[in-house]
Amino acid sequence: MRSADDIRRLFKNAELRVHPDADEQVFKDMLQAQQKITENLPPSFLAKARRGENIWRITMKSPITKLAIAAVVIIACVIGLSVWRTTGSGIALAEVLARVEQVKAYRYQFFIGTGEDPNKPYSSERRSTSLISQEYGSKTTTEELDPNGGWSTSAEAYKSPDNKTAIIIWPKQKKYRRVEFDDTTAERMWEVSSNDPRTFLKRILACKYESMGRATIDGIEVEGFQTTDPNFFYFYIGDRQIGDVNQIDVKVWVDAKTRLPVRYDYMGDKRKSTHHFVMQDFQWDVPVDAADFEPVIPDDYASLVVKFPAHNEETAIQGLKLLVELLGKYPEKITDVTDVNAATVLRLAEKSETPAAMRLKEEIKGLTDEQINNKLVDFLMPKRGLRRFYGLLQWDKKDPAYYGKIVTPKDADKVLMRWKVSDSEYRVIYGDLHAETVTPEKLAELEKALPK
Amino acid sequence: MIEDKLLIFRFKQGRNGALRQIYDKYKVEMLKLSVVLTGDVNTAEDIVHDVFVKFAQSAERISLTGSLKNYLVTSVINRVRNYRRDNNRHCETGLEGAEVFSSPERGPHQWAVLGEQLTLLSHALRELPYEQREVVSLRMEMDMTFHRIATLQNTSTNTVKGRYRYAMARLRSLLNGEVEK
Repeated sequence: MRSADDIRRLFKNAELRVHPDADEQVFKDMLQAQQKITENLPPSFLAKARRGENIWRITMKSPITKLAIAAVVIIACVIGLSVWRTTGSGIALAEVLARVEQVKAYRYQFFIGTGEDPNKPYSSERRSTSLISQEYGSKTTTEELDPNGGWSTSAEAYKSPDNKTAIIIWPKQKKYRRVEFDDTTAERMWEVSSNDPRTFLKRILACKYESMGRATIDGIEVEGFQTTDPNFFYFYIGDRQIGDVNQIDVKVWVDAKTRLPVRYDYMGDKRKSTHHFVMQDFQWDVPVDAADFEPVIPDDYASLVVKFPAHNEETAIQGLKLLVELLGKYPEKITDVTDVNAATVLRLAEKSETPAAMRLKEEIKGLTDEQINNKLVDFLMPKRGLRRFYGLLQWDKKDPAYYGKIVTPKDADKVLMRWKVSDSEYRVIYGDLHAETVTPEKLAELEKALPK
Repeated sequence: MIEDKLLIFRFKQGRNGALRQIYDKYKVEMLKLSVVLTGDVNTAEDIVHDVFVKFAQSAERISLTGSLKNYLVTSVINRVRNYRRDNNRHCETGLEGAEVFSSPERGPHQWAVLGEQLTLLSHALRELPYEQREVVSLRMEMDMTFHRIATLQNTSTNTVKGRYRYAMARLRSLLNGEVEK
């Protein structure tokens, strides 16, 4: 390090990146600050600002700026006013999210259609009405299209972040499930709740997206935003499987006047089926009452209480242990974890002599079908915890990786799963399920040593 | 320069798109400056967050006659100096009421992720007296003239040049062997 040039080069080459989630949050804070100050400005200033009078007067005081503005006019003429066009209508998607998050309660309709062939009618259709309240939680009523025609209620779901619970009622089956979460999970459940306009906006904001310009929907002037970034689906969505998406097309249409969403469209090809989601009929700032979010459960409904595991390393290890005990090996991909459902487990238990299968067979001996189902929910909980933990690592962009395809339970020195803890640290779970923190350099060595 | 004038013009008209463009254009530069001046990424983030939040509130006050970049740089420097001078008060009350908009929602996410070289540089700069750190950072990172730095530091150009020479000598010693020629 001898010359000033070396040091200058160090300054210029020194890299700083911004985390997109925190970045959007800072901008949201800016918008809120701007909004707050605008509310307190005298109407005369606002009127002048809109007309540009105030600015023009200030501008023309400076001879240099006069020249600069003259140059702007000339350049704008020459380049066909491209400077102005590039900014479109000026609707910022982060602002839309900020506005949605300011709404105390809203209601909307949600439709999901699934089919094998995009040119044929959906093989299954569901529609839901959701009521979301910042104060009380959420209520979602789902209806299914009956093959004989007409819609019938298939489930009612209630989420309460304060009580850290979710209650799902299945009226046809006369049963309900109460799921209890730990503090962190309850908070995350609320933050990244699936099929919620806030979550969709956050995910679009985390992807590459572009404006589609203006259109009219139901007589409302809207601006559209679109993403086809496959990362959209790379994030955490409830407990559904993620990944393996061939193609997606996500659009959100925002009211040009209120800056609130009017409609969302999601089309995705996942494995061999096509999914179509639509969110629409939004009603913002609807009056709500605590009673709207209190489930009414008839006395004769069968109940099941599930305590959901914390989403952490310990649960992930328990989930991996369960899977290797059941399958005799680790699942090849983390998304395969979802395929290990109650039916798979029962099938495996019948044929297999693995320790977990033997234990399960013992535990379900003499139980009724209902009791077996309940037992399986508990039995598989570590697996669900693993899946969700990994999903959250993806959502938080903690650079997770999983090597179940090439690592076996005997590989005590090989990386089975890893994720980033900080710039200088990674957490690693090895094939024999012990875990340790390593430097990025050490991780690079470990991953280099993995079988090809 | 002209683009900045346009941005300010549109920002003063209350167009959020302009605010977004200003933010996107200068956030990384301001974060880097704040990191090298404070030597602490969390403090640097808080300072730049407050600078941009206050900027978002400044449509009525900001004029089209000055440089947007200089305005933001000066805001960052003033806040770093305030922070250093009155750290305790800063922690308790926030900066000029901007704590109202401070962002607990940033939560576990670090806003600024430093590369290895920036970490190295900020550690080395922490060894310098603050005035020298400010001079060398503004000169190297912001390409500012000695005259302009002297105005910001309310001192003579010769004093600034002296601070620069001492800072560079110390940095050469601290970073010796760290940067490949």
